[in-house]
Amino acid sequence: MKRKEFIQKAGLLAAGGVAAPYILPGGRLFARSNTPLADHVVLVMFAGGVRQQEAVLQRYLDDSQGVNSAGNIMYNLLEGAVPVSKIAYGTTAAGGTAGGQPIPRLLSQTLQKQGTLFREMRAQSAGHYVGLNTLITGNPGTAQGLKARPNFPTIFEYLRKHAGYQASDCWFIGNTIGNSTPLLNSSEHESYGLQYGGNFFAAPLTFGSAGKDVLSNAKPYSDEELAPMYAMKNFLDQNFGLNPEQFLSVRNNPEERTRIKEWMRDVYIRLANGQIPFPPVNGGGDSFNIGMAAEVLRAFKPKVLVVNMSAVDGCHSNFTGYLQSLHRADHATGWLWDQIQRNIPEMSGKTMLIVAPECGRNLKPNPIQDENDWYAYDHSDPNALRVWGLMAGPNVPQDLVVGSETSPSGRLTDIVPTIAHALGIKDEVMNAGLLDPLARSLFDRI
Amino acid sequence: MMLLAAACTKKERISYGLLDQELYEDKTLKTKNKNESEYISILYTNLYQKPISPNELYKTQNVVYSIGDRTLAYEMLLSNYFNQGTVQIPSNNNMRGRLDSFVLDTYKRFYLRYPSEAEKTWFRNYIQANPDASVEMVYTAFAASDEYSFY
Repeated sequence: MKRKEFIQKAGLLAAGGVAAPYILPGGRLFARSNTPLADHVVLVMFAGGVRQQEAVLQRYLDDSQGVNSAGNIMYNLLEGAVPVSKIAYGTTAAGGTAGGQPIPRLLSQTLQKQGTLFREMRAQSAGHYVGLNTLITGNPGTAQGLKARPNFPTIFEYLRKHAGYQASDCWFIGNTIGNSTPLLNSSEHESYGLQYGGNFFAAPLTFGSAGKDVLSNAKPYSDEELAPMYAMKNFLDQNFGLNPEQFLSVRNNPEERTRIKEWMRDVYIRLANGQIPFPPVNGGGDSFNIGMAAEVLRAFKPKVLVVNMSAVDGCHSNFTGYLQSLHRADHATGWLWDQIQRNIPEMSGKTMLIVAPECGRNLKPNPIQDENDWYAYDHSDPNALRVWGLMAGPNVPQDLVVGSETSPSGRLTDIVPTIAHALGIKDEVMNAGLLDPLARSLFDRI
Repeated sequence: MMLLAAACTKKERISYGLLDQELYEDKTLKTKNKNESEYISILYTNLYQKPISPNELYKTQNVVYSIGDRTLAYEMLLSNYFNQGTVQIPSNNNMRGRLDSFVLDTYKRFYLRYPSEAEKTWFRNYIQANPDASVEMVYTAFAASDEYSFY
C-alpha cells in the first residue's frame, strides 16, 4: 500500500470506527475512538542499545573502527547490500574464521519492504531502563528511578482499562529478572496500576533450568479438583478485603490462571522433549526469549505482546560480539515474524509488528578493544539518542521510508500511541494526559 | 564460714502479676506484605516442618520473581511441593473425621489466628458439601490467598 492509498483507507476506517461502538467484557458500552487497524500487536524491543551507524546507516566497520567495510548486517529487517570484507558478524563454522559465516536470510522480503521504516527517530534517554520505560509508557520517564515500577501507565494498563482486555490478552516476555525488567508489566500510577497490568515471564528463568527444577513437577489438577480450591480462596480473599490498589502483582482470573498453568506444564514437557521451535541460529537468552514469545503467541493469541532482547549491550566491551548479536537479533525478529505468518493462522495477516531499540550508542568509542582490536561503544552522548523504528502488518504502508538523517521523524514515545491507534483506543490514551506531549501515533507522522 | 555466710544473700523473687496469654494475629493488623523470600521460607517450613536450604530458597525466589502473576507462581510452587509427597499434611480422612479442629488448626497454621464463627461455619459446611475439597486444595487455597501474603 502506498502513502496516498494508506491515507484514503485510514480516513475511511476512522470514520467507520467512530460510528461503531463496542461492549467491554464487563458490559460497559464504549465508543471506539478509532477502528482498530490490526487485531494484534507485537512489539520487539530491539535489542540492548543499537548504534545507528551499524543499523539503518549500514556502515558496518566504516564509522566505528576506521576499517573500509560498509554494508547491511540486518537483512531480515532492512534493505541493503551486505558487507563484502572483514566478515565477523556471523556464526563460526567448524575450522572457519570466527564469525565468518553470515546467517542465511530467513524472510523472502525484508520487513522494511513489507512495512514502513522510520529511519531517524529520537530516543528520550540514553539508558536502558528509562528507554524500555519510554517504549511501554509513551512517557520520557525523566524522573523514573531504577528498581521501581514505571511512574506512568504502560500500554498493558491502557489496553486493559480502556479496551477491556484481560490479563492473558497482554504479555511482556522479558529476557531477565535483572535490570528491573520484571517491573515493566505495570506502573504504579494511581489511576491504573497492577489491577490493569499485563502478564510477565522472564522466559530464560521461568522456563530455564531453575524454572524446570522448581516448577516442572506440578500436578495436573482437573477442573473438578480446582473448583473447590478457587471457591475457598475466593471466600478467604473476600474476607481479607484487599483493595485493587493493594494488589501485589498482576492478577489473572481463575480460568486464565488454570489455562496458563496447564500451558506451563505442557511447555516444560515439550522443552524436555525438544519440541519447542526456536530461531534456527542460537543467540543465547535472546533467542530463547523470542522462541518463548512465539509460544505465548501460539497459545494465547494475545492482543499485545512485548518482547525484549539485550545481547547487543555486550558492545560496552566487545564490538565483534555486538555485531554478532545485532545480526542474531535481526535473525530472531525475522523468525518471529515468519512464525506469526506461517504457524499461527489466527494471527497471520492480522498482526502488526513494531520494532525499535530502547536507545542508541555513542559516536566515539571507549578504550576497550576486542580480539579484532575493534573498539567498544557505550551509550551516553547525543548519538545514543539516534534510533529507528519499523512497523509492518495490516494497514501499514508498504515499502515506505519516513525521515532521514537531516529530517528526523518520530520519537520512542510514539510507540504507545501507535499501539493504541492500531488497537482502536488512540484518543483514550492521548486524552489520558500521561504521554510525552510530543508523542504521536506513527501513523500520524506518515 | 562467716565470710561465706556474709557473702550469700537470699535472691528476691519478683513477680509482675502477669497472666498467661495466648498470642495470635489479627487480620486487620496484617498490613505488611511478605516478600518472595519470606513467603517461600515460611511456606516451606509450614509444609515440610523444616527450613528450606539457602540455595533452594535463592533459586525458588528467582523463579517466582520471573512470573508476573505471583498467585499463579505460588499455586504452581504449591502443586510441585504437593507432588513431592514429603509434605507434612493430614490425610483427607483425618480432615473429615475432625472437621472443626482441622479448620481451627488450618487457620492457626497459615494465618496465625483463630477463625471467626462465620469462617468456621463456612468451611465446615463447604467441606462437608464438597467431596472434592481435599486437604491439598484447602492448603493451596490458604497459601495462595491474599491474607497469607501479609503479616
